[in-house]
Amino acid sequence: MTEFWELYKNGQWEVPFLTFSIYLFVAASFILYLIIVGSRNSKIKKERLSKEYSTTIDKIMSAVIFENVPFSEIKEDKNFLVLFDTSFFREVLTESLINLHKNYEGIYAQKLEQFYKDSGLIKSSFRKLKSLKWEVKCKGITELAEFNIKEAFDQIIGYSKARKKTLKIVALNAAIKLEGTESIKYLVDHSDPIDDWMQLNIIGAFKKHDIGDTVGIEHLLESQNTTVVTLGLKLIKELKLSQKVPHVAQLASQTTNVIIKYEAQSILQTLTA
Amino acid sequence: MTFFNTEISWFLDVYILLILGYAILIMSSYLMLAYISTKELRKYLKRNSFVDYEVLLTSEFAPKLSLIAPAYNEGLTIEENVKSLLSLNYNNYQVIVVNDGSKDNSMEILTKTYDLVLTDLDFHPQIETKKIRGIYTSRNAAFKKLIVVDKENGGKADALNVGLNIAQNPYVVCIDVDCILDKDSLLKLAKPFLESYGKRIIATGGVVRIANQCIIKNGRLVEVNVPDVMLSRIQVLEYLRAFLLGRMAWGKLDGLLLISGAFGAFDKEIAILSGGYSTKTVGEDMELIVRMRRYMLDNKLPYSVSYIPDPLCWTEAPEDFKIFKKQRSRWMRGTIETLSIHRRMFLNPKYKLLGMLSVPYWTLFEFLAPAIEFIGLVITAIFIIFGLLNWHFFFLLLFFVYSFAVLFSVIALYSEEKTYHKYPKQADFFKLLMAAFIEPFYFHPLTVYAALIGYKEKIMGTKGWGEMTRKGFTKKE
Repeated sequence: MTEFWELYKNGQWEVPFLTFSIYLFVAASFILYLIIVGSRNSKIKKERLSKEYSTTIDKIMSAVIFENVPFSEIKEDKNFLVLFDTSFFREVLTESLINLHKNYEGIYAQKLEQFYKDSGLIKSSFRKLKSLKWEVKCKGITELAEFNIKEAFDQIIGYSKARKKTLKIVALNAAIKLEGTESIKYLVDHSDPIDDWMQLNIIGAFKKHDIGDTVGIEHLLESQNTTVVTLGLKLIKELKLSQKVPHVAQLASQTTNVIIKYEAQSILQTLTA
Repeated sequence: MTFFNTEISWFLDVYILLILGYAILIMSSYLMLAYISTKELRKYLKRNSFVDYEVLLTSEFAPKLSLIAPAYNEGLTIEENVKSLLSLNYNNYQVIVVNDGSKDNSMEILTKTYDLVLTDLDFHPQIETKKIRGIYTSRNAAFKKLIVVDKENGGKADALNVGLNIAQNPYVVCIDVDCILDKDSLLKLAKPFLESYGKRIIATGGVVRIANQCIIKNGRLVEVNVPDVMLSRIQVLEYLRAFLLGRMAWGKLDGLLLISGAFGAFDKEIAILSGGYSTKTVGEDMELIVRMRRYMLDNKLPYSVSYIPDPLCWTEAPEDFKIFKKQRSRWMRGTIETLSIHRRMFLNPKYKLLGMLSVPYWTLFEFLAPAIEFIGLVITAIFIIFGLLNWHFFFLLLFFVYSFAVLFSVIALYSEEKTYHKYPKQADFFKLLMAAFIEPFYFHPLTVYAALIGYKEKIMGTKGWGEMTRKGFTKKE
């Protein structure tokens, strides 16, 4: 440091500074180049492994779905156990399981859910909920919701009040899928504003998961949070819940908020037309 | 004589200090922006992996958009381009094609292909434009989203203003009709309008990438390639540097001064209240954003401009120097005009980050950089003539700048690799890496030269765009 100061004081700093910077830039470029090459190679390797794993997984899943082979029988295969020990294989397996579950219904879906529980993948999903990283939590929530693990509801709904918006949305979507309108009561007391994007996601979750029982949606109209009230009105409109007209009419007549009043009146017109 | 020598020595010292100071300032600002961008990009991608864009597709509450596509002599490609605009993944949108007095058969092609008939569309123009000859809609229900406006030639800004006047939806998306859009581009562009609470999103923009030598099928990009032609290949790298390492950071700081004219969405009401596109500048895209921001700040309205780092739009880059020079000199004229129109914002605390950072940054590093470089070259030449140049120091300085330019390109490649990985072929990666080494010697001097032409054109009072011919994309049957 003293040397540098001396150079600066003597007005001789330019050449050492430039030389040092050039070395630094060349070294940094070379290191980045190595990282890029490494990253590309690891991507290629992952893709190859993923293809290999997918072939194995397809066979296993076919046996589980169409031949009623339980997990206890699958794990007798030593090759499978070796693979199952690697985290990347489990990751690919979970993804395949989720994709299949999205495409199947009824007995086939139940078999996949059973496999998810028996294989212990459910435990790693629950572990993900405890992660400090919000994106890992989101992954865990998505997995648990996909396989209809209702026991996870209490933990999941807790994250609907998280600070991270994405986690909040994922948690609410999952909660709606798992317990439908049960999750509504948590929204009524929601203190933070729910922006239009979140509202759209909540409405989307109701539509996507075909929540038939809409009892309780009207409670959203009683919230102190105006964005929750707006969400309630939008839900009533989008799901065409004409049975909720009296609640909307009551809101329209009692609210002092001009925007809410206008929205309520507009929905009344749509639903009673 | 001693006095004279002392004077020269003092001048040399000051000159070296100034050059080094400017270089260090520009390099550190680039690195700082690259750091912010990379960090923000990773956060965005993490967030985006949990986003379900389908909710926008299925909801009536999705923002309603009007796409405005100005077209001038686009007869060769207009049929396919409009078809691709009509088949985007979005529900609440209309397409307004504005034929800006084309001299070719664009209008005939559109009329025949889309079965157009004259219509009496009820609209109240709020921005003054050139005369509209006719407004057409299709008799075919399959093209009910389409409106075609035939107007007298008035330039791109005038055509966009016609679109703003006619648009029936609260948000307008201004695009270049010859751009190739990602099929989910509207979904991604519309989302930010729903996300803010308590402040208005007045504009959103996405990343534009180079499509030369990429394979296009049915108006969609199906294979990404790096061009063989060096000029366009380096532009791939240049766009990566600008969009991935520059604009992302400005987006995060909310100091973005430019939403690319090729593809950007705007809050129609604010765009109109600000006066619409200016026909007095060739940098109408940048000027509109600055004016909209200025309008919001002048009226103390909370707002934001959003930036989406996803590659949403692919465009054709010039492959020969003549067209490249025209494009870049026009960009420089646009920058000068915008900065000149809004010179009151320069270092004006009233305009917050925009006035204190964005505008000075653009002035110093975008507008003045080519001039500073040119002056530096002239002074160096004088030093050589008078035998005053310290060659050791000169080469050291040259390699200092060169090694930084290569490093910055490698950072852009690293960022691309870790995020979108759009160039998976090894050969493409090495082509881009090679471009990083060639760029400072080949491409950079060309950009400086084109910018100097831009200065000259501005001084001479040149107006308009000049003819921009395009080669067209590689198509897959």
